[in-house]
Amino acid sequence: MDILSAWIALIPVTLAQSLILSFVVLAVMLPFRILAFPDLTSEGAYPLGGCVCAVALVAGVPPLPALLLAAAAGFLAGCATAFIHLRFRIHTLLAGILITTMLYSINLRILGKANLPVFNEPKIYDWLAGLSLTGSWAKILLAGGLALITCLALNLWFATERGTAMRAVGANSDMAEAQGINVWRATIGGIGLAGAAAALGGGLMVQSQGFADVNMGLGVLINALAALMIGEAIVGRRTVMRQVAAPFVGALVYYQLISICLAAGLPPGDLKIATGVFVLAMLAAPTLGLRRKGGGTPAKESFRE
Amino acid sequence: MLQIRDARRVFFRGMPDEKVALDGLSLKLARGDFAVVIGSNGAGKSTMMNAVSGALMLDQGSITINGTDVTAMPVHDRARHVARVFQDPMKGTAASMTIAENMLLAEMRQTPARLRRGLTPARRETYREHLSYLGLGLENRLDTPVSLLSGGQRQSLSLVMAVSGEPDILLLDEHTAALDPRTADLVLNATLRAVSALKLTTMMVTHNMAHAIDYGNRIIMLDAGKVLLELSGEEKARATVPDLIGHFSVKSDRMLLGA
Ligand SMILES: Nc1ncnc2c1ncn2[C@@H]1O[C@H](COP(=O)(O)OP(=O)(O)OP(=O)(O)O)[C@@H](O)[C@H]1O
Ligand SMILES: [Mg+2]
Repeated sequence: MDILSAWIALIPVTLAQSLILSFVVLAVMLPFRILAFPDLTSEGAYPLGGCVCAVALVAGVPPLPALLLAAAAGFLAGCATAFIHLRFRIHTLLAGILITTMLYSINLRILGKANLPVFNEPKIYDWLAGLSLTGSWAKILLAGGLALITCLALNLWFATERGTAMRAVGANSDMAEAQGINVWRATIGGIGLAGAAAALGGGLMVQSQGFADVNMGLGVLINALAALMIGEAIVGRRTVMRQVAAPFVGALVYYQLISICLAAGLPPGDLKIATGVFVLAMLAAPTLGLRRKGGGTPAKESFRE
Repeated sequence: MLQIRDARRVFFRGMPDEKVALDGLSLKLARGDFAVVIGSNGAGKSTMMNAVSGALMLDQGSITINGTDVTAMPVHDRARHVARVFQDPMKGTAASMTIAENMLLAEMRQTPARLRRGLTPARRETYREHLSYLGLGLENRLDTPVSLLSGGQRQSLSLVMAVSGEPDILLLDEHTAALDPRTADLVLNATLRAVSALKLTTMMVTHNMAHAIDYGNRIIMLDAGKVLLELSGEEKARATVPDLIGHFSVKSDRMLLGA
């Protein structure tokens, strides 16, 4: 009973948090699933967005333009990762690690110090104060609305000619190129878009928690990956719509699970091992399932190297 | 019209296993020509196809398509002029995407992708019609992911995709070699019908000498990165399978003696 009431009390806070972080989950899904480009840049793009947003707010930039600046910075970070992969033939994961590592220094430069409070600056969530919505509910409504719009917009995008071309680059890049698609442009644009989503998440988080911290990205990627796995397990990946919805559904469920663990008294320090074991189990499950049916090892998914 | 002038391409230059894949190859196809390309393994047939499609850049020489010099044009720009079907059915289609989406991608070779709806009802109707010529029932499976098709069905789809939009040059590199005899026949017949109906300028690589005799209006035999033999008109009409095989054996005798 204790656990239940502790969890229920946490629900609004957790909901707000998960809707904000769903943008990071999206930033993991897009490269990984749509572009066959496993990418770690969001671990650096998320704090980058946070830092840019905080500095902009302190400089007097209104909340929305501050978020757009954050997204633009994240876009550039994603473009950089895609570019060094394409130009120098560096493995996508290594390219992402390189950019994330360099971003740490850049984030510190942008912020000027390890931590920058923005408690007194106006926030995008203040917009809903007129509806006498405050605290978590303002965040839920705003971040949730933004997530919904993003989800719908992506669905429309992938139904356009250009969106179809972008998917083709992930499905078979040689074939896409032979059909006249500029693989460089689609890859850089797509990974940039993911970077922008991660940075937007960082900006929203900074406006929500009231400060930016250069270390705010630590571990955000593995959480996002876990959320993505859950989302895909729930809604599947059969259609584009399901694939696009998975990050948002996954984020909502995953952070509630974490919240239940915390409510049950799991020390926060142990969460990472729980998350790690969980991701491992999700990734390993198909191999175990197949073997039981006598199917041998699972088909290897092909990613770009 | 396609013209290859003095094309040269060396792999592993300056290394012990240096390999001259194209050695001053020159070739000219008139509009509407259907050339069957033959030659022993390693003669440079695929390398020549890759050079024409842009997948491989030449060290020297030039390639002109309908008067446009495309020698330095990247693959995705050349796609407006050149379409190809590979030997491997997996290469020509996007497996995780549906049949209709693959057809849309092929259509965008001619009209580059824009920010507008992709699969309109009108397009789906067109694709249905184009696929129905195959007689495989693919027209009723527009929303099926290509990964669920058999190799033969995938290759047939690749063919329909390649001929859509009537490319200036159609390249077929042993495109029936991976198929069982019946399916190979089916794909070959579909190829012949499309090529003659649309009067496509075509290069088809094959190891089947009977096909070289029976189809097309020209035979081009490559050897060691050069054109060894070219037959057209009367000469092609008189050529027999043993004749063609003779040209192979001259070479392999030479290889045996030289070894
Ligand atoms: N990417 C490459 N790297 C190195 N060598 C290559 C490459 N592509 C082709 N070659 C070499 O160039 C030569 C010509 O090869 P190519 O594939 O054009 O022959 P082919 O006529 O298509 O033969 P096959 O009938 O076996 O398909 C071969 O010796 C081959 O080893
Ligand atoms: Mg070959």
